[in-house]
Amino acid sequence: MGSIQRRIGLALLISLLLAGGLLAQGSLWLFDRGLRNYLQSDLRDEAESLLRAIVRKQSGVQLEAQTVDPSFHRPYSGRYFLIDIDGQLWRSRSLWDHELGMPSSSGLQEQLQGGPQGQHLLVYCAPFKRQGLPVRICVAQDYNPVLQAFTRMQQFALGFGAGLLLLLLLAQRWAVRSALRPLEQVRQQLQQLEQGRRSALELVTVSELQPLVEQINQLLRHTESTLQRSRHALGNLGHALKTPLAVLFTLLQRDEFRAHEALRQSLHEQLLQVRKRLERELGRARLAGEVLPGAHFNCAEEVPALLDTLRMIHSRGLQLEWQGETGLRLPVDREDTLELLGNLLDNACKWAAARVQLTIQAQQQAYVLQVEDDGPGIEASEREQVLQRGSRLDEEVAGHGLGLAIVRDIVDSWGARLTLTQSPLGGLCVRIELPRKAA
Amino acid sequence: MRLLLVEDSVELADSLLAELGRHGYAVDWLADGRDAAYQGISEPYDLIILDLGLPGRPGLEVLREWRGKGSNTPVLILTARSSWAERIEGLKAGADDYLSKPFHPEELLLRIQALLRRANGLSNQPELVVGGLQLDESEQRVSLNGQQVELTAAEFRLLRYFMLHNGQLLSKSQLSDHLYDGESERDSNVLEVLVNRLRSKFGKAVIETRRGQGYRFVGVR
Repeated sequence: MGSIQRRIGLALLISLLLAGGLLAQGSLWLFDRGLRNYLQSDLRDEAESLLRAIVRKQSGVQLEAQTVDPSFHRPYSGRYFLIDIDGQLWRSRSLWDHELGMPSSSGLQEQLQGGPQGQHLLVYCAPFKRQGLPVRICVAQDYNPVLQAFTRMQQFALGFGAGLLLLLLLAQRWAVRSALRPLEQVRQQLQQLEQGRRSALELVTVSELQPLVEQINQLLRHTESTLQRSRHALGNLGHALKTPLAVLFTLLQRDEFRAHEALRQSLHEQLLQVRKRLERELGRARLAGEVLPGAHFNCAEEVPALLDTLRMIHSRGLQLEWQGETGLRLPVDREDTLELLGNLLDNACKWAAARVQLTIQAQQQAYVLQVEDDGPGIEASEREQVLQRGSRLDEEVAGHGLGLAIVRDIVDSWGARLTLTQSPLGGLCVRIELPRKAA
Repeated sequence: MRLLLVEDSVELADSLLAELGRHGYAVDWLADGRDAAYQGISEPYDLIILDLGLPGRPGLEVLREWRGKGSNTPVLILTARSSWAERIEGLKAGADDYLSKPFHPEELLLRIQALLRRANGLSNQPELVVGGLQLDESEQRVSLNGQQVELTAAEFRLLRYFMLHNGQLLSKSQLSDHLYDGESERDSNVLEVLVNRLRSKFGKAVIETRRGQGYRFVGVR
């Protein structure tokens, strides 16, 4: 998964490097051109003054030393000349023992020539006529100082450019981050929603995200109201079916039926089947499962009331306890969780001798819910069988044998894991691991 | 024991009235939440069986009103809404027990017995054992030192009330309030006759008479 921030940063870095590099190199090249053109006119003047210094004396044509610039006489001074006059080659004294080749072309030479002491020479050649003789004069100037200046300038530009680039990247990072802050807020809120720490998204201040947030909120409201409507409808359906069933159960106690015991028994059996099926399917249809992302179960608020209810139902002085971190919230629907814990604890209360304990823990990978009792427990060999669907764990004590089946349904709808083990209290330990969702 | 049944299904109420009557309870029946809200605290009921889906006013609201007005009559909620979330809500509103429909009549009778014993400070045992007598409420039989003693339905009702209020002074009007439903004829002579019949079966000292005040069950010495 790429981040928008990184992508924008990378694109900016590449374009800045390309543009900056081209600009710096291009301006250096233009500057070099301009400088050489400027030096060319100097060198031409130089060549012309050398031409004027060629005079005819009694001994022949010669160069008048006094009129020539003194730097031509100082060895390796950086200024040199070559004069080819009618096949005769004159070299400036400054060349000393360095052999400088006479270029064949005229004008400013494109290539710098190698000079003495590692110098790079800018060479200008021009053909003339003097005293009736063909003269070819080449003047050279050491270009090294300029090259060194260029190198310094390049280094400076590189350092400056790198600093500027860093500054720009930081500024861009800040700009992108502040532009993306609303997105980050929405992301955090979605995460809280997933963990059940909020039930709707807050409206953000940027117009681009507003419709998205509104749509999500609308969807949440819609899902929640659909769930409530269907729960309500199921409640009504249950009411409509269960009251007549209750009437039938009471009618079966009539003396008229007592006279036909076999008939009464078989009617009773069938009614039990209907009731069982009804409870199971209505129970299953009520489950929210993972429909609502904002759902949560606040342990400290809900568990004590549930335990009070169980103490009232099992009024035989059982010691009911629960342990959980303060402020612990499970990211699952409240009613589902109450149904799950209610059934497990109810079951434990039926079997317990004196103690039932509920433990809720938030671990690294999962939420762990444990219901333990000090009753007879279940043999390890029979636990697998008990876990099978529809198995009647609580067959021998009052109840419908439905508890564990509904628990299974809830556990499945959560994608959680149910295991039965031996409790340190002596009885059964039902352990449910609810995996944490990836943040 | 006088009970109030608040239930809007006529068929269920009919069959429950018959069943409860057979087990020696005097039962008044109401189908509307508004009537129940008034009558539930104006009459001296020993226990109220309350349906939640009532016409007029919702059952939970009626229950909250009773509790808000200081009534502590035991209330057993009888409802088709059987989820744990709804049970918790019911008990938070002040109910003492919760039975979901459909149910076995025996289950309802056991819950009523347990609630009445609890309300009168007795522990929950299969049989009511008070003052040397052992009362089997489902079979309506009593045994004294292991000897079965036969009881008529009226004697059973009175003896159960006495046993649940062991050692308490009970006036005649209080006794008739709790033994007969709102529509029965009340005749204090009938009570005297019944008390005397119980004395003849278990000994004269079993019930004391306080002249002008009423009776006190002290049990068999």
